[in-house]
Amino acid sequence: MQMTISMHQLRRLGLLFLVVLITLGGTTSCKSKKKLAREQAAAEYAAKIDRATKDLTAILNDETSWTLDEKETRLATIKSWNLQDENVLALIDQVDDKLSQDRADASRMAEEERLRAEEEARRAREAAKYGSIESQFMAIAGAPDVNAANERIARTISLFASPDVPVLIIISQAGGFNDYDRPTTIGKYLDYLKDQKVYSNTIEQVKYDSNGKITELELIKK
Amino acid sequence: MKKIQIILALMIGLFTTVNVQAQDDISPERKQAIDSLALEKVRDLSKYISIIGSKNTAWSEANRVIDRAEELFMQGAEMGVSTLAKPEVDYYKVRQYFERLMRLNYDRVEIEWFKIEYVSDLQRQPDGTYVGVITIFQKFKGYDKEGGLVYEDTTKKDITVYVKRKETQIGGRIIGFWDVLLGDMRVKETSK
Repeated sequence: MQMTISMHQLRRLGLLFLVVLITLGGTTSCKSKKKLAREQAAAEYAAKIDRATKDLTAILNDETSWTLDEKETRLATIKSWNLQDENVLALIDQVDDKLSQDRADASRMAEEERLRAEEEARRAREAAKYGSIESQFMAIAGAPDVNAANERIARTISLFASPDVPVLIIISQAGGFNDYDRPTTIGKYLDYLKDQKVYSNTIEQVKYDSNGKITELELIKK
Repeated sequence: MKKIQIILALMIGLFTTVNVQAQDDISPERKQAIDSLALEKVRDLSKYISIIGSKNTAWSEANRVIDRAEELFMQGAEMGVSTLAKPEVDYYKVRQYFERLMRLNYDRVEIEWFKIEYVSDLQRQPDGTYVGVITIFQKFKGYDKEGGLVYEDTTKKDITVYVKRKETQIGGRIIGFWDVLLGDMRVKETSK
């Protein structure tokens, strides 16, 4: 009697087995998905650590072709990942320091370049401004005879407040101060150009009075 | 108290020594500039001498140039004059030398200086003056009114140069300058 299993019982047993199977199957499937997601997240994290390590190392060793702005953007991106890897955190600190230094160097170089360009422009402006005086000096030195030289001297001296206007000639510049030749006057200097027949200086500085006449001339040896 | 005084005296002494030493030291670039300046003054003199000696130079121009040339020299400096005609060398005060040069008894005179160089570099003396000797060779040619060469010689001369740092005030500021002054010009040898 006990050994006999009716068709009805067999069907119920089958149904029960099916329910258990479905239940067990469903649970296993859910667990696999979570595990997969965890594994995927871990892989992504590891990939980020790897990417961050490579990028930060490349920045530190100057092995990228990125601009400073691009490097800083990259560092900000890596920081935003909040990676809690000791090696990456140490690299972030080092790159932070390096980029701060690079930024300071770039600012300094930009400032130096700006000052250089400014100085060049100033010299160009002054060369243009003093060009006519320089031409007069060269014309006196290159005059074919004494009379021609004297005529040019008379024209040139009219640019000055008097023939006694001081002329300073710098012979060397070092450590922020100038060494001069014995000071002379414009009258004597123009005669000097006539006698020696050579103008071997350039104008460094000119001072004018309110009438636009030159009151002091500073030359520098070429 | 006495110890403190001794230490203070030593410190002051040390500071003074360092300060004086700092003033004595000039960089090679500055020294080079001073060397060149002194040589330039001798070259300037060479040009002045040829202008003064030239018979084409107007009397007023020659006198003006004599004034400029005289300013290159120290007070009391003398110039040696030699001739192939006698072994002795005559020495004249600078102004006298230039005036004689202007009145030389030739119809045309050519004076050329060459091989202008240091024989003794500028050396700093205890009083701060730099002293050196520059040698020059002077080629002199005198012509008569027919244009014939009547006299020529080549003279080697040594000029002592003195360079001293001085200060002056210009436009309300102190200007430090190197004052180059020429001393005696000694004749070393004269040949045809």
